[in-house]
Amino acid sequence: MMLVTGGCFQGKTQYACKTFGVSEEEAADGAVCPMEELYQTKLLYHFHEYIQRMMKAGQEFSMERLKEENPKVILVTNELGCGVVPVDQFDRAYREKTGRICCQIAREAVQVHRVVCGIGTVIKDG
Amino acid sequence: MLFLITGGSGSGKSEYAEQMVLKLQKTPRLYIATMYPFDEECHQRIKRHRCMRAEKGFDTLECYTGLKDADVSGYGTVLLECMSNLTANELYQEGGAKEQCAEAILEGVRRVQAQCGHLLIVTNEIFSDGMVYEEETRNYQRHLGRINRQLAAMADVVVEVVCSIPVVHKGNPEDVR
Repeated sequence: MMLVTGGCFQGKTQYACKTFGVSEEEAADGAVCPMEELYQTKLLYHFHEYIQRMMKAGQEFSMERLKEENPKVILVTNELGCGVVPVDQFDRAYREKTGRICCQIAREAVQVHRVVCGIGTVIKDG
Repeated sequence: MLFLITGGSGSGKSEYAEQMVLKLQKTPRLYIATMYPFDEECHQRIKRHRCMRAEKGFDTLECYTGLKDADVSGYGTVLLECMSNLTANELYQEGGAKEQCAEAILEGVRRVQAQCGHLLIVTNEIFSDGMVYEEETRNYQRHLGRINRQLAAMADVVVEVVCSIPVVHKGNPEDVR
């Protein structure tokens, strides 16, 4: 498993595709793809939006299932949580949930990359 | 030694800070809690943090404002969490330092640090969501930003936690004993 994180519009998906040799056509868009794609695709971007869709559908994220069915997946997510506490309760819960899930993913991931201005830094390796 | 830990919400910075405290093995340990329990969500957060701290051997001191009056003498390691709450309390609560919050807090940090062995401070990144807030909130961001910069200048080690991974900005956490 790999995790790529960073702010919005930093070129994370492009960086991830290039770094891990995945074409953008092969990648799944977490904002719109079928929910099952997480367990099949090589690379899923907009993972934070995927988490939001899960929450809205009342589903829970299962690390066990992901490890079992798609252990080599590359996940690209926005780094949320670096702003003022949102006024809306769902927004607060969403950013908290995304943060916690990304901590879980980072723990399992072989590498974690953080992208700033299109430039990736490996912040975890092995 | 002053150790500053920053990161966004849900980044795992508290867990990192607590692990660092345990690693330092300088006892007794004190936790300075700054979150004022306004509502049920605060209570839930406080409960989660209490559970995380259980079995780690911390005494707890609640300090919502007036850090400079905190008596922490005799403690080997003090963990203050979180600077964003303390700043909001000083700025908005009755009896707080209001527009002098940065001076009051930094004075408090110096006094606390002078009394104990290690001081670890958890703060918060609230500056990068690209939203433009009303002046009251911007003023809060400005104060916290200033406090964070001053703390980082005073600190021996500055670490940002990203998805539970420490990204070192100053000093070396491995050197701290």
